[in-house]
Amino acid sequence: MDGSHLSVVVDLSPSQWHLSSLQNQPYPLDLSSFISQLLAFLNAHIASRHENSLAVFGAFPGKSVLLYSSADPPTETPPSDANSFPAFRLVNSTIMHNIVQHLEALDDSSDEEAPSALVGALTKALCYINRLTLEFNASTANANATEGLEPLTLSDPRVLILSVSPDQTASYIPVMNSIFSAQKLKVTIDACQIYGSETVFLQQAAHLTGGSYIYLERRDALLQYLTMAFLPPPSIRQTISVPTQDKIDFRAACFCHKNIVDVGFVCSVCLSIFCQPVPVCSTCRTKFPIKTLQRLNAARPSLPLTSASQSRNPSVSSTPQKTNGRSSATPSRPVETPLGPGGLPHSGSINAHNINGAAHHGVQNGLGSSG
Amino acid sequence: MNVDSDSDISISDYEETENTVSRSKAKGKGKATDKRKKDKAKRKPKDVQAYTWEANFTRSWETVQEDEGGSLQGAVNDWVARGRRKRLLEPQNAIRRTIIRHMVLIVDLSTSMMDRDMRPTRFALTLQYAREFVLEWFDQNPLGQMAVVGMRAGVGERVCDMSGNPQDVLKSISDRHKLEPTGEPSLQNSIEMARNSMNHLPTHSSREILIIFGSLTTCDPGNIHDTLDQCVQNRIRISIVALAAEMKICRDLCDKTGGQFGVAMNEGHFKDLLFELVPPPAQRALPRSSNAGGGGPGGGGSSTNPASDLMVMGFPTRLPDTSPPSLCVCHSELRSKGFLCPRCLAKICDVPTDCDICGLMIVSSPHLARSYHHLFPVKPYAAVASFDAVADVSSSPSCHACSKPFPTTVSQNVADGMSAIGRYRCPDCNTDFCSDCDVFVHDVIHCCPGCGK
Amino acid sequence: MPTNDSDTLDDKNSITVSNKPHALLPFLQLQSATSLSRLYQSPSSCLSIFRLLDSVERQLVMNLLWLESAISLSTMGAWVVQEKKKFYDDALDILTRLHILHVHSGKLSLNTTFKTSLRHAITGGGSTGSFGVPAEKDEKRPPMDVEGLDGYALERWETILHFMVSSGTGQNPTRPSQGVLYLLQRSGLMSNQQGSTPQITSTGFQFLLHRPHAQLWDLLLQYLHMAEERQMDLVEVLTFFFMLSTMELGREYLTENLSQTQKAMLDDLRDYGLIWQRRASSRRFSPTRLATTLTSTSPSLPTSTGMTSSSQQGFIVLETNYRIYAYTDNPLQTAVLNLFVSLKYRFPNLVVGSITRDSVRKALNNGISAEQIISYLTTHAHPQMRKFNPLIPVTVQDQIRLWELEKERLKSQEGYLYTAFASQADYEFVLNYAKQLDVVLWENSAKRCFFGSLEGHSNIRNFIERRISGAV
Repeated sequence: MDGSHLSVVVDLSPSQWHLSSLQNQPYPLDLSSFISQLLAFLNAHIASRHENSLAVFGAFPGKSVLLYSSADPPTETPPSDANSFPAFRLVNSTIMHNIVQHLEALDDSSDEEAPSALVGALTKALCYINRLTLEFNASTANANATEGLEPLTLSDPRVLILSVSPDQTASYIPVMNSIFSAQKLKVTIDACQIYGSETVFLQQAAHLTGGSYIYLERRDALLQYLTMAFLPPPSIRQTISVPTQDKIDFRAACFCHKNIVDVGFVCSVCLSIFCQPVPVCSTCRTKFPIKTLQRLNAARPSLPLTSASQSRNPSVSSTPQKTNGRSSATPSRPVETPLGPGGLPHSGSINAHNINGAAHHGVQNGLGSSG
Repeated sequence: MNVDSDSDISISDYEETENTVSRSKAKGKGKATDKRKKDKAKRKPKDVQAYTWEANFTRSWETVQEDEGGSLQGAVNDWVARGRRKRLLEPQNAIRRTIIRHMVLIVDLSTSMMDRDMRPTRFALTLQYAREFVLEWFDQNPLGQMAVVGMRAGVGERVCDMSGNPQDVLKSISDRHKLEPTGEPSLQNSIEMARNSMNHLPTHSSREILIIFGSLTTCDPGNIHDTLDQCVQNRIRISIVALAAEMKICRDLCDKTGGQFGVAMNEGHFKDLLFELVPPPAQRALPRSSNAGGGGPGGGGSSTNPASDLMVMGFPTRLPDTSPPSLCVCHSELRSKGFLCPRCLAKICDVPTDCDICGLMIVSSPHLARSYHHLFPVKPYAAVASFDAVADVSSSPSCHACSKPFPTTVSQNVADGMSAIGRYRCPDCNTDFCSDCDVFVHDVIHCCPGCGK
Repeated sequence: MPTNDSDTLDDKNSITVSNKPHALLPFLQLQSATSLSRLYQSPSSCLSIFRLLDSVERQLVMNLLWLESAISLSTMGAWVVQEKKKFYDDALDILTRLHILHVHSGKLSLNTTFKTSLRHAITGGGSTGSFGVPAEKDEKRPPMDVEGLDGYALERWETILHFMVSSGTGQNPTRPSQGVLYLLQRSGLMSNQQGSTPQITSTGFQFLLHRPHAQLWDLLLQYLHMAEERQMDLVEVLTFFFMLSTMELGREYLTENLSQTQKAMLDDLRDYGLIWQRRASSRRFSPTRLATTLTSTSPSLPTSTGMTSSSQQGFIVLETNYRIYAYTDNPLQTAVLNLFVSLKYRFPNLVVGSITRDSVRKALNNGISAEQIISYLTTHAHPQMRKFNPLIPVTVQDQIRLWELEKERLKSQEGYLYTAFASQADYEFVLNYAKQLDVVLWENSAKRCFFGSLEGHSNIRNFIERRISGAV
């Protein structure tokens, strides 16, 4: 009842992690040091309170797996050891074991790696929270549900998404559906993009559920970011604030080519989005008037932004501010932002320069098996 | 909260309504209910309990069947099973809805509104519910626009112009002293006023009038039936919630224009009637023949629907609260937060709106996305009948979504459409889910955790 | 509206409850920096203390945990929402007093010992063995299973409570061991008069109404105080408590690595039901649930015999007509209820009674406060009651409070009446002085007299004497 629940969705796409560990990257981060920092973070969550619960979902290429959940702990417990807390050992060894097992089971034969099943993992996390909520209601006062009172909800359930993959435009609708169900369950979604480009969908997910989104630039400071931004449950965030978002991109993916568009053509009946004028709505089979099509097609050349490009083309007339803000290649965010009077700092200003590399410190439990 | 789930009524909604409204399932003396029963799109139970002293005494506890263990699980399973069967009956086609709605809310401000048969007065209650209605309506119809007209002293009075901003509308009906009821109402005058304000609207949007009517008379300058005919011509849908009793002309207005009519029996029923009008009216892509009452304007359902159009919309970028303040185009004030028009980069305070500079319609994409689950429903899961089906597939011992272990024994006396071993299988990815997740996936998430779509 | 009133009251209560620091923290704050830093050498202690902290304090510690260098106060302060600055300042204050945090020339840093140990606790490693040395599985003598441990802990704990509650009622419940009795008397929960059977005191009555978790910590705190007097090493006692709290339920641990002090504690802890040993001389021990949940905040104690599940949800139904139905067969719970309820009927699983003026006055006379009664009822309310808001009927709540006020209509205070001042000026001169001392309880300038409290008397008398002798 008092503990807060945290579900972590970890993107474990081998190819993206390989890219992230290359030395030509600024602040390279490889999978094993990421996992050791992640485990330290998870332990910190369990350490905070005896009643805190935890679930970890892995998004592997093409499949999503539950790596650990505190509701059904594994039956065989690791041998105990006088120097570590039993609960931590259990988490560490279970997660390591499962990750290694699933990574080995991955099919290497095909050339192209399937995209990570982030959406699957996210929906699983929501189903899991739904299950906890149901169980919680059943155990405490099922009188509430039957007497027509508002069913109780868990306090502060939240989902943290640690992603290294770019937006998968095909999953636009599932992601949005997940966001809305998270809103309904009063789940906060936090998101951290550790590698790769900014993701529009995760930004929107965090914004719409009141969570925090961080695009990680200083990857050597991962643990500090995780601790400061994602460890405090929503109740504490009212006292100690977490990094707020910069801009939120409300762009959507079109239904026809799965492009991310900022100006789209929308069917008035079912609200499907298209990146170019179409005669018939592919979703609801509505035919559009010829006149409209002609008018829109005529007007199109003047619209600079309907081409099938992922990033927004800075239009001819755009201000330099826009170009900087949108293109991910030139990060323009200051690391130290001067604070306005009473204003809160935003995500750039986590003080990253004097961080102890927890990566070097290493999490000793269970890491031995990672090879 | 209930009405939040558009027309896809969820099990929990169903239960809640059923419970709060009437455990005893007493058939109310609702003369108003017959009309709504015809409407297939609405599936909420409408047998609302009348005044308590009118209701039959029923032993509600006897309708609940305990199983031999004294548990109520059987009764609960029945609910779940009903939800499942209903889902299987639903057509796979995408649903068409008029989501871009325009509504004129006409509030009776005649002296009859001062009656105290609803506490504290009809007037105060109406204002209170109207405020809640407006909030809920804009929440579910983010692209809609609403105007408010008051009926008093024999004329229609414009209280609020057509606006897409819920705050504008709320502000206009927040001050009760400006709306103090006097005189007689005039249905014709107010409907004419509403009709005129909606004449110019594009054809693809819906035009609706909602009247909250407390009087038993109307004081009209001409023949109200002419007005009615014009409304039918203009495809305006009129719905009326009456607080006193049914009037022939009100019934006609609603029936002929395809709206809904209801007489509120008590405070709770009043609210229910009002909130039924929140979700957008649904239409099937392929016309279902028996959709008689709900058809109405724009509901012709032919594939060459003149009421459809392709619109250009822009999806803005939201500026953070800490960004340097700059002038907005709508109020010309210095603010730090706001949205940037993707075409002309003008700064706008609120969405949805039309860009003042380039005229682009600006909406935030989540607004649109709220309705997408109607378009791509998750296929119903098949109930796994016995362990034979489990043995051959390499199936896991626990639910694919929430990892709850499946029961290992066959349960007895399962309801129709339920699985005896508690497994439900997605036809696409062939993974098994528990019954809780089955309900949750179809009613809330609208996305299968196995296949991710 | 009464409903609203009690709502806000409930809110206030919940806020104060949640902000109240754990009972152990004030005790730790009294310890010297050296002994604290000895305590912080053990990772399990750091972890446990970390858990006892408030949520904001925990977050502050975590924010600083992985930083190598100190961080300036202003940087940290920038993250605090302005309206909640007070919580932040309080948190800093408590952490500083626990010597976890150092504020040094405008920079914040963690105590290095604490930092190293907590890092060890979270990442594992080190060689302190502070989480207890587990015993190898012994095939011949399998360890006690979890239910057995729960039963044992419960039996021990309820023996203590039952002994307290039925003292003086003429019943003769099983006496707990001598060590427990001594602790109860030392802590003032029971009094020992002329060698007869100990009697429960008013503190004892209040103690009974506490939540089990608070009761446990109350006793352990008393144990710590007693340990000081018995010349035991406090740090070792505390370290052992914390070690127990991080142990795993249902596992056996070896006693070999324990210090002498800690081995001596085994006997006491066995009496309280915190640990289980096959024999007193056994080289192994198993912590019970009482021990492993020491640092959790919710009472996850097995609180009643047999019906664990229902008792955790509460068993009391209270009606607006002051009738109370308690679904319990537990003699302890019945006995506790008997403190403030006049019981009418007893059935195998149900006790019926009603709250009357007399029964509440009896409780008030025993030193129990109205708030304690209400909070006991709230804590143990039946799930059926939980759908009401407020949970306890307003009439009953108010009436219990009124009965308490009734008792406090008159308050006596010893003091002196000063009269017969020679002149108004004299009177005012003395009165002013007395007011400066803040000892005036009542004054009447028309009659030139005032009443001062006892403690001010000597000062005032001296002052008047000096005045008379002309010194002032």
